[in-house]
Amino acid sequence: MTSTGPLNEDDRYRTSTQYRLWSFTPQSLHTFRTTTNQLAAERVREAVRRAREARSADDASGTDSRSASAVPEGEVDCLTVEEELKLIAFYCRQTLQLGDHLKVPTEVKATAIQYIKRFYITNSVMTYYPPDILKTALFFATKTENHYFRLTKFAEAMSKTKPEDILASEFLLTQGLRFTFDVRHPFRALEGAVMEMNAMASGEIDGPALKGMGRKVMMAHGKAREYLKTSALLTDVYFHYTPSQIMIASLMIADRELIQLYISTKIPSDHPSSPDLQAKILETLEQCAEMLKTVEPSADPAPAEKKEISALGKKLKKCRNPDMIDLVGLQRAKREGEEGLDEKVVKKRKLEREQSAKEGEDLFGPSLKK
Amino acid sequence: MAYSPLVVPGSADKSAATTKSKLSNTVVSSNAPTPEAGQSSNGAGNDLAEQMNEDEKQKYIKGKKLGEGTYANVYLGHLRDSPSTLVAIKKIKVQKEYTEGMAPDAIRELKHLQELSHPNIISLLSVFSSKDQNLNLVLEFLPLGDLEMLIKDVDGVRYGAADIKAWMGMLTRAIWFCHENFVLHRDIKPNNLLIAADGEVKLADFGLARSFSDPYRVMTSNVITRWYRPPELLFGAKHYSGAVDIWSVGLVFAELVIRTPYMAGDTEVHQVNLICQAIGTPNEDNWPGVSKLPEYTVPEPPNPIRGRDHYLGTFGTAGPEGVDLLMKTLILDPRKRITAREMLEHKWWSSDPKPTRKEELPKKSGGEAKLGEDLKRRPGILDDERSARVARKLDFGGMK
Repeated sequence: MTSTGPLNEDDRYRTSTQYRLWSFTPQSLHTFRTTTNQLAAERVREAVRRAREARSADDASGTDSRSASAVPEGEVDCLTVEEELKLIAFYCRQTLQLGDHLKVPTEVKATAIQYIKRFYITNSVMTYYPPDILKTALFFATKTENHYFRLTKFAEAMSKTKPEDILASEFLLTQGLRFTFDVRHPFRALEGAVMEMNAMASGEIDGPALKGMGRKVMMAHGKAREYLKTSALLTDVYFHYTPSQIMIASLMIADRELIQLYISTKIPSDHPSSPDLQAKILETLEQCAEMLKTVEPSADPAPAEKKEISALGKKLKKCRNPDMIDLVGLQRAKREGEEGLDEKVVKKRKLEREQSAKEGEDLFGPSLKK
Repeated sequence: MAYSPLVVPGSADKSAATTKSKLSNTVVSSNAPTPEAGQSSNGAGNDLAEQMNEDEKQKYIKGKKLGEGTYANVYLGHLRDSPSTLVAIKKIKVQKEYTEGMAPDAIRELKHLQELSHPNIISLLSVFSSKDQNLNLVLEFLPLGDLEMLIKDVDGVRYGAADIKAWMGMLTRAIWFCHENFVLHRDIKPNNLLIAADGEVKLADFGLARSFSDPYRVMTSNVITRWYRPPELLFGAKHYSGAVDIWSVGLVFAELVIRTPYMAGDTEVHQVNLICQAIGTPNEDNWPGVSKLPEYTVPEPPNPIRGRDHYLGTFGTAGPEGVDLLMKTLILDPRKRITAREMLEHKWWSSDPKPTRKEELPKKSGGEAKLGEDLKRRPGILDDERSARVARKLDFGGMK
């Protein structure tokens, strides 16, 4: 790439952090998630063991030990990778709904969801509770996507949420994002492709294959947009495909015939490698479309899914890392420095936080204010 | 399929994971020590993310302080493994008075520098956090100060048309690259143009930068340091393009030639007056639609648009081709103003004299302290307005 030559889209995409840091093979992504899950499970068991030891020590000395009462009995039954993924998908849907409630633009919701998905590659839901993280992710996305929202207003719009709750995990989130905040979405690409197809359909530009197909283009546009606004966000397509591949795949689901014609206008048929190239492109798009189709673009999860999520939510409650429940307290301790705080104050704050965390621990997250 | 430079702990696929682009050393390099599962026995100990952060931090040694400000401190640093490889470490302070979490200028700078890699844009080599959750940006070390320093030192530094052409070439390529990547810089001025040891000019300070907006979304007009702010922003336009940066580039060009800021307004009204005098009064004839902009007011009587002879008289040392390019960057109507790509295609670059080779460009010592000064500043502030007017307004104003 010379510094003055025209940059092609592929070269440009390859310099993005989305490509360099956040694109994976399915295998490597799975390995990451497995490692994260195992690491977290070990730490949960370890923390629970220590909490129990502390409790029996307290019992022996006769001191009050309410703080340990949250620690369940018996062997801790931790979540599997698949279970974590189901919960993350559920909370990503919640993020969409919260975004709708706050009336933020699509880009903000979409970016927030990718932040959540990226964060949970190296962090487990057993360590960091998704209902906390999703609020932070959505608030942070309003800043990175230039849709500024006052923190106090943002917190007010949710029940049982204080500004400090949202800020408590902001740093944690940015660290989990490896300080890369730019997310490349397929939305603008879709508008561009649709404009071009419309111009072909009306004969404004060359593309006789699409002549007179204006209505088909319009229908495909609407359906593809639905896929991009939900399925593309809730599946792993951003980790495996480029924005333009995701965009074309969503159009292909909408109207396969139309898109094959469109692709044929891009690859000259007299080009020697044309058949191979077309086959290769179609195969990739096919795989991407398959992945997209695993999540229907409806806003609500199916009843069976809801039931499963409810069970998983209960399971999560029993295997959360007891050391990581009080994020506000942990954050405060980090900022203020350990020595500056009286141990009693720390304990008192922790108790208060645990109490309110318990109250706020509604499985489906905080209810939205009407 | 892409490989992440992240190392999968315990993965046998290490060779694949280490195939990285030249850029992948940003943030976390692929050869970072693999975090071991179960290493931390303490529940509140290191996460994978914290381990990666710690590894990154360990790569650098922080040296003496080059500058101290309310927004950031700047340190000289070097690679632990290679003490001769110098870096600048910009430590952004946690702003206690800012109660909305991570501040917008830090977010913008990180967001855009992480994505842009170009010889004429300052390189962000790494980011890590220190214990107190301050952000540390590891930037390439640029020891020779900035263009403002050279422009101001009229007695100490002599330069000519070939040198100006070299500097302008580097600036134009930088801004072309930003626009090609859909990023508006929104704070181009001589003291944001830093100079590397080999003479290369590097555009810095992306604290006011943003991505191009969608057509229906508004943007704030309160950006770009006043002297370099284009008329559309002074008139309160909420929809604008890369043309705002081009105006600033034109004014840097003018300043390089005459060695003093061309239009140094004391207030926004004064700035508009200076533009009307130096360029001409914007009206519906030379700029259709201008009178509809929210804050459009111009002084009476109106001045006609200045002709070529006027520019040749003031900027003649740039030569007729140079004057032609300058005039095209200072066209009032942003839709008619030249674009960065068109600038690169202009015939000035190929006309005589040839641009000076970067190694032979005039230099000035004392740049280290200047780098400290430049990097610690809040974005968008003139030296005389450290009260941070622009940045403050941007933080709390209708930031869209």
